[in-house]
Amino acid sequence: MKLPSHRNFLRRKLGEEMLLSLVVLAALALVPLFVSSPYWLGVLIVSMYFAMLSVGWNLLAGYAGQFSLAPAAFAMLGGYTTGLLAWHWSVPLAIGLPMSIVVPGLIGLVLGRIVLRLSGPYLALTTLSFAEIARLVVYNSIDFTRGDQGLNVPALVDSRVANYYLFLVALAAATLLVYAMLRAPIGRFLMAIRDDEVGAASRGVNVVRAKTIAFFVSCGICGFAGGLYGTFAQLVSPELGLIAQTGIVIAMVVIGGIGTLVGPLIGAVLVYVASEMLRDVGNVQMIVFALLVIVFARFFREGLWGLARNAFARRAPAASAPPSPAGQA
Amino acid sequence: MSALLEVDSVTKRFGGLRAVDGASLHVDEGELLGLIGPNGSGKTTLLNLLSGHMRADAGHVRLDGREVLGLDPARLTRLGVLRMFQLTRVFARVSAFDNLVVCGLALGLDERRASMRAIELLEELQLAHVMHLDAGQLSGGQKKLLEFGMCFMVPPRLALLDEPFAAVHPVMKETMAAFIRRRNTGGQTFVLVSHDMPVVVELCPRAVCMNAGKVLAEGPTQQVLRDPSVIEAYLGEHAADEVDHA
Repeated sequence: MKLPSHRNFLRRKLGEEMLLSLVVLAALALVPLFVSSPYWLGVLIVSMYFAMLSVGWNLLAGYAGQFSLAPAAFAMLGGYTTGLLAWHWSVPLAIGLPMSIVVPGLIGLVLGRIVLRLSGPYLALTTLSFAEIARLVVYNSIDFTRGDQGLNVPALVDSRVANYYLFLVALAAATLLVYAMLRAPIGRFLMAIRDDEVGAASRGVNVVRAKTIAFFVSCGICGFAGGLYGTFAQLVSPELGLIAQTGIVIAMVVIGGIGTLVGPLIGAVLVYVASEMLRDVGNVQMIVFALLVIVFARFFREGLWGLARNAFARRAPAASAPPSPAGQA
Repeated sequence: MSALLEVDSVTKRFGGLRAVDGASLHVDEGELLGLIGPNGSGKTTLLNLLSGHMRADAGHVRLDGREVLGLDPARLTRLGVLRMFQLTRVFARVSAFDNLVVCGLALGLDERRASMRAIELLEELQLAHVMHLDAGQLSGGQKKLLEFGMCFMVPPRLALLDEPFAAVHPVMKETMAAFIRRRNTGGQTFVLVSHDMPVVVELCPRAVCMNAGKVLAEGPTQQVLRDPSVIEAYLGEHAADEVDHA
């Protein structure tokens, strides 16, 4: 039996989103050719840090339906993993940075098993509690972590442009990893769990395994973002794990488009760059983003990417017309 | 025929209520068994126990002679016990096609085989024209058909169908009934829970009637429907006359 060319709607949709993600990443790659200001390159580096957190959190919340409130806490754990290894035991970054994936990933795996049967507000509250406990442990373990003084982390590369491309490569790798996962059976299983966990189990999906993998990968991505951020800022502090940081990540994903590949990239860069532009007007920036989140959550649930896609579909109705069942085989 | 499924003195309590009260029945290999009874008689609870969605307080359930009571739904599904729910369960934000593919992948098919099987089922269930739509966009009847198809991505050992015909358009109902007939002729085993007596009479050679969590009567369907206790508890004199004339 010959399969119809349009047979795999999910893969086609993911392919389109990945292509657009590559366009966004390529555009980011060109920025240093036109922007030489270290300040704005720094802003974009931090926006790519948030984009990595958004990509990681979106895998868990947007594709697997697991609304965790701990992405910033895992970034902090990643940052401290690299920092503590270097500070106490002079472990080189070549080992310290991969460990910023492994350690938060394993902690996320354990957290994932603990919250396995929780959903909605219970899951959110449990992960929020974990995030606050982790932050307070780091904050108060002064002898080990230096508490709120923060911990110095060695730099991986010196120049701002080199850091910029380092973050860009890491962001591209995280996006490709999530894309590869979503194309594989595990991706479909996660979406099934998101839509109906009981239904997914009833169709034979190993819910425990799928959720555990999602927690490991998501927390590993967030941890690596934190580890990389530490080498850029050459400092990690408990502030990395503040719940407000998680709030920013959620805002970025919701505004960009939750449950899409490209949404978190667009959302993170736009929100962070715009927040820097609004910095001079003080805390108004947070009010603006809070209002934007409300507007998007209420009226445009697919975010900016959804708006753009719908506008494109309206302008090119023939291209988006449903396939005819005739002659599919 | 040998018994594929044996249910032995299964009990499920909710506080002081015995929703299933020592129920025993068997389902033979290749059989199409009707499970009938008034609302609240314990049919759906029994299916929940058989499909692993609830844990029984007592009793045994054997599939091919192997104790399966207490296994989780995913494990039972992989052993071949597939369940269709009374309230439709589909994956709303993925396409109808991908809903089917997920089920195939979960049961060990590779992507290509799952895709081909999905297309075969979509065509057989007359859903090919909506395969690209998210399941959440389908009509109620189409969702029922889709969920029905999701149970057959890999031929199950036993299909537990809970009210598959409820609130379904007559044309779709006939599509589903014809599908069941064909599969049963090919040796597929079903348990069909339905209040649609004419369909139960037409499809099911044997029936079990439950009431208040207990098995009230079992045997050839016409005989069960003429059983005085079934008429009193479930059908009423008028309905029994109608079935007689069906």
